[in-house]
Amino acid sequence: MSYYDVDAILTDGEKVPCRFELDVPYLGHLDNSNGLKPGSRLALPLWLAEMFALASAGEDSKPPLTLTLPPCLSEQVQAALKADPRAVALRDQSAYFYGVAVRMLDLFDERELSAILRRTFVVRAADVGLHARKAEESGLGGQGEEFLRGLDEWERRLFRRGHEGVRGAKEWTDNVKKS
Amino acid sequence: MALPLPQGLVPSEVAFLCEMELVTVVPRQRLESIELLSGSTPRLRPPHRADLPFWLAILLKKQRRANIVPPAWLHPDSLREIVTYETAIDVKDWAPPPPPPVRADGRGNSTRLNPYEDGVILSPPFLPSCTAAAPAGALPYHWFELAEMLLAHASDDIPSASEVRSLLRDLQEARAAKMRSKVTHPESHGEGVTSLRGVGAMELAESRGFVTGVAEGIRKIGASAETMRREEEEENGQDMDDDLSDDDMGL
Repeated sequence: MSYYDVDAILTDGEKVPCRFELDVPYLGHLDNSNGLKPGSRLALPLWLAEMFALASAGEDSKPPLTLTLPPCLSEQVQAALKADPRAVALRDQSAYFYGVAVRMLDLFDERELSAILRRTFVVRAADVGLHARKAEESGLGGQGEEFLRGLDEWERRLFRRGHEGVRGAKEWTDNVKKS
Repeated sequence: MALPLPQGLVPSEVAFLCEMELVTVVPRQRLESIELLSGSTPRLRPPHRADLPFWLAILLKKQRRANIVPPAWLHPDSLREIVTYETAIDVKDWAPPPPPPVRADGRGNSTRLNPYEDGVILSPPFLPSCTAAAPAGALPYHWFELAEMLLAHASDDIPSASEVRSLLRDLQEARAAKMRSKVTHPESHGEGVTSLRGVGAMELAESRGFVTGVAEGIRKIGASAETMRREEEEENGQDMDDDLSDDDMGL
């Protein structure tokens, strides 16, 4: 991941739900109250939440807030992905679904989630590859288009890479016929 | 940032390399031997066949000074056989590449035919995989590019060119589908190792981006689980060491 990777920066900006453990008096404007009380819930960008969740002031002090899994990785979404990965429009969950998920996997010890994600990615990659190959012939339509609209950024990049290869070979074949 | 060039060879580079393959021509005019960097070409005398580099053969073909003899695997029957293999006999792996040229002696043994010293194992483009002597029923490394260029420049030399064309399309689609299914079912082929035996150069250039993309995605998703597993393994290893030392103490 490059320092200038726009997708990585935008992934960092995705909001994740957190619960404050400390009293923070002067940050009330964040949730329109007089001050953040312990236990108040707030959605913070990933980079900030991660830093707070891992930070701790002293020897046995708790970190200022606890992280929870974002809604795009909720039980329901996991169950839907387990049932049929292709039927879920990942982009509606989060445009950076896998990016956020991988960061969450770094923070939480979620073996099952990791397995689900892996299967989801692989199953959907097969469809992405098929669409990347057929994109020009079938002219996109119906269910295919619906599926492509549900791709998250990782899958879009995969689609572009696959499509570029196919297009390169096709262009070469057409050029040979012309020359 | 990375170079703007894509990884690996692009299709035009693959096609350029393919032009180094030897093909068989039937000359129509005499031509003296030409000194090339890759060696000198054979002297062309009209009724006798000769093997020339593909680019030179196309040049002579365009000038109507030679006809190209298509390799045996480009015959519709051979292609149909390969399509059957790809779609019915082995639906997971690609059709195997052509066997190395062998010569049989009178006692039922065969030895590898090798113009160089022993121990040199030849691979394309130094194997004559596209000449008239090439075996039928197996696709060499540069099959797609060579077939396309032959169809474009020397279609009148190929028997039933239109049928060959449609069979090539079938093959290309069937093999591309195999590439996708192989890459996206890493479990079914044992621990993420995939054999690409028999895949052609152009197919590799075509699917390189997709294949590496999928592998990268799987790696990133599995990265945290992998580090966890490593740490556990390390801990277990230490535990085992402790046990051993305890045992030693007991003794």
